[in-house]
Amino acid sequence: MRLVGAARRLQSDERRSGGLNEGELLARVRARDMQAFERLYRIYQPRLARFLFNLVQRPQLVEEVLDDTMMVVWQTADSFRGGSKLSTWIFAIAYRKAIKARSRWPDPVEDDPYDTRVSDDPTPEEDLGHQRLHDALQMAMAGLSADHRAVVDLTYFHGMGYREIADIMKCPVDTVKTRMFHARRRLKDAMSGSLEDWL
Amino acid sequence: MADDAHDRAEELLPWYAAGSLDAADRAIVEAHLACCPACRQQLAGERALIDGFQALTPDIDSGWARLRGRLETRPSLAARLSETLTDAWHVLTRPVVAGLATAQVAFVAIAGLFLQSAAQPAYVALGATPVAGAANIVVMFKPDAREADLRGALEATGGALVGGPTEADAYLVHVAPNARSAALAKLQADRSVTLAQPIDGPAE
Repeated sequence: MRLVGAARRLQSDERRSGGLNEGELLARVRARDMQAFERLYRIYQPRLARFLFNLVQRPQLVEEVLDDTMMVVWQTADSFRGGSKLSTWIFAIAYRKAIKARSRWPDPVEDDPYDTRVSDDPTPEEDLGHQRLHDALQMAMAGLSADHRAVVDLTYFHGMGYREIADIMKCPVDTVKTRMFHARRRLKDAMSGSLEDWL
Repeated sequence: MADDAHDRAEELLPWYAAGSLDAADRAIVEAHLACCPACRQQLAGERALIDGFQALTPDIDSGWARLRGRLETRPSLAARLSETLTDAWHVLTRPVVAGLATAQVAFVAIAGLFLQSAAQPAYVALGATPVAGAANIVVMFKPDAREADLRGALEATGGALVGGPTEADAYLVHVAPNARSAALAKLQADRSVTLAQPIDGPAE
């Protein structure tokens, strides 16, 4: 059975966490356990890297913002009271850091904003189709605003609900829904043809 | 009314396709999907997009070693306080304000008090060498000094590096009080050093 999305992520997260759940990991991080922090980092690094790549679109900024985010997690783990999911708290920190970083470097890079790789090994036939969709997705996403890209990525890739996204972006849930609605319209327009080929 | 139901369900489709809706929202969408071919078609498109997004992964290296390095070299609160005070001290001792000897002496005395009170840091990075005491020497190096020069000069003092580089590229060192004069003399004689001064009052 093919594992997709959240299920595949959950499986790899469990492998990276060494069998501890996030609450147990965070308790150890609060006790300044560097090994637990490394496990937490390895769970969140791929997810944050992807999220931040969509937001800031500069590889060197992704590293900087990701490190800054995890530094805050390490330094302020005591302040997390469990009022939200741990992922919401960490992504909200990353979002704030990314917005600040973008204000320092507001112009997106022009060349190849998505240095991407395909996570599975597709067959040659699938490869052509995947590549077409990937190219179209890259182009379409590049045409969206940063906030639209964030909502799209958090929904489609990270599997987050609209309330959690609103918590991360500190905006009303209706704003999230509106952003998603307009982003989908623009994606559909920009990918005209490609999506039908894929279906 | 039907349009309202359509709009509401259509708005929720991305989260329905991604499996992140709660039971109430899911029921709304499923009731509408049963009677709306357009939304069913759109749902297929949403799922194709999700598949596409899942396979699109930016190639970012894991930076654990880099982050761990930052955690280990992050100065303690005491050192960061010292850094702030030292930067201010550095401004005070520039030639243009060097004539303000009274202010300088007063500042050094106050800085000494602050540094003493900050000698027990509230935050110490894991893996960092425990801070033996507050900084009592500030050192600056020539811009072209190599890491080996810095290391050699600091090791020669017999003290411990407790902070830096500050924004002014200064390093903060703690040496045993009875060894500070000798340490200062060694640093001032070092060709890679441009400044070596006590920061908590006159050397013993």
